[in-house]
Amino acid sequence: MPDVLQNLSDELAALTEQVSVSVVRVEARRRLPASGTVWDKGVVVTANHVVERDDDIHIGLPDGNRLSAKLVGRDPLSDIAVLRAEFDLPVPLWTTPETARVGQLVLALGRPSRHIMATLGVISALETGDQLPRGIQVDHFLQTDVVMYPGFSGGALISANGRVLGINTSAMRGISLTIPTSTIRRVVEALLKHGKIQRGYLGVGAQAIKLSPAITAKVGQSYGLLVASVEPDSPAEQGGVLIGDILLRFNEMALSSPEDLLRGLQSDCISKTVPIVIVRGGELQTLQVTVGERLMR
Amino acid sequence: MSILEQVNERLSSLAAEARRSLVRILSGRAWRQGSGSGTIWHSDGLIVTNAHVVERSALRVVLHDGRELAAELIAADKHLDLAALRIEASGLPTVVLGNSKQLRVGSWVFALGFPYGVDSGLTGGVVIGSGADLPEMPANGREWLALSLHLRPGHSGGMLLDAAGKLIGINTLITGPDVGFAIPVHVVKRFLKAQLGVTEAPSRTARPDSVVIL
Repeated sequence: MPDVLQNLSDELAALTEQVSVSVVRVEARRRLPASGTVWDKGVVVTANHVVERDDDIHIGLPDGNRLSAKLVGRDPLSDIAVLRAEFDLPVPLWTTPETARVGQLVLALGRPSRHIMATLGVISALETGDQLPRGIQVDHFLQTDVVMYPGFSGGALISANGRVLGINTSAMRGISLTIPTSTIRRVVEALLKHGKIQRGYLGVGAQAIKLSPAITAKVGQSYGLLVASVEPDSPAEQGGVLIGDILLRFNEMALSSPEDLLRGLQSDCISKTVPIVIVRGGELQTLQVTVGERLMR
Repeated sequence: MSILEQVNERLSSLAAEARRSLVRILSGRAWRQGSGSGTIWHSDGLIVTNAHVVERSALRVVLHDGRELAAELIAADKHLDLAALRIEASGLPTVVLGNSKQLRVGSWVFALGFPYGVDSGLTGGVVIGSGADLPEMPANGREWLALSLHLRPGHSGGMLLDAAGKLIGINTLITGPDVGFAIPVHVVKRFLKAQLGVTEAPSRTARPDSVVIL
């Protein structure tokens, strides 16, 4: 019988070495440095929370060289930051997590010091964005049980065939989270283009509420969003939204939770006038609201 | 057989082989007993463990076959956290020494010991990194193997083995529930050579100034 355990061990080490050339050290906070993963020639993607400063950022290359890097942009909601530096490292094969399955072996790579480091685990869950705390906009979160060694944030999570599934962010409650490639692609492309992530803004505080049977029969949905507050001079106020209105549809999209509205407020609707279907006094109405831009810090 | 079954088969046979060289170390008397693990280094009764495992007197060693023997502390270095014991026995099973200087990050390893006193408790994982510049450890020149596995109290002094079942380290400490640290076997070799002049065969003439008798 071939020595399957030795072979497994050699393959894990070979995978680590193969992708290690695309994992860099990111020095952008006071404490321990963290990690970053090569996205493209001269572009590194890392976790936003490890980039504590906007200037004086350095990256450490696998060959030991240390380079000055520029912050291209950051997105706190998805915990992604993009850096640029003059380097020529291999771009790893990024893959979307649709190919991943719960139970598969994965390696987490990091480079908080000079050398590559790795931990092994399995994919614990593939969660959709719906189950996340509100406001966090990712398509999916990969949960794994890999150990997030100090400084692993921003490093790559790799599959058994050496593809990068995403970058690792901090563990919470004993599970490790990975931001998947699909989210990274969307955010990185926007950051490279605009230097920021644009999101639409209405200016309403809203909570999900169960609709009356009569309304449900009419519109075919069981929940809507009760408007609890309207910001002064906001797009919602200018469009005529009042406290007590129930929002049913935003731009043809049914609203059953605040997350639905957040998802609807993508950058492409900024400055556009969109129809919002509401219930007011038991009657359906359609308001026309011109979406604003949400200002991030 | 599926690959997973083959891995299981191989791991359990390596573990069964290696645990013959694992010993339980008891110390103290009556109500103040301590216990830890040790690794048979030489068939003539040389055992390696951590210095923190042998801090009490009345040292005894329990072999895999159940024999309990009195042990003599012949060398200890608190800075390295290594100690050597001698027992009156011969023909003991030993493990093959591996190469801890060329361990590959991500490679598979497993540890044996007596976690919370449990007999030959095994935990497996991968090498996170190695060397003297690991993020969690003080930069005092000591070399470590950082491991993604679940060492627990009682694993101290036990064996860390590679995928071929070769000894690559001595389990020593943890920095959290999921990260363990072992002293690389090349450091153990250096310790034994410096303290006892042991290269392969053990010597009965320990240098007096380095011997700590508790």
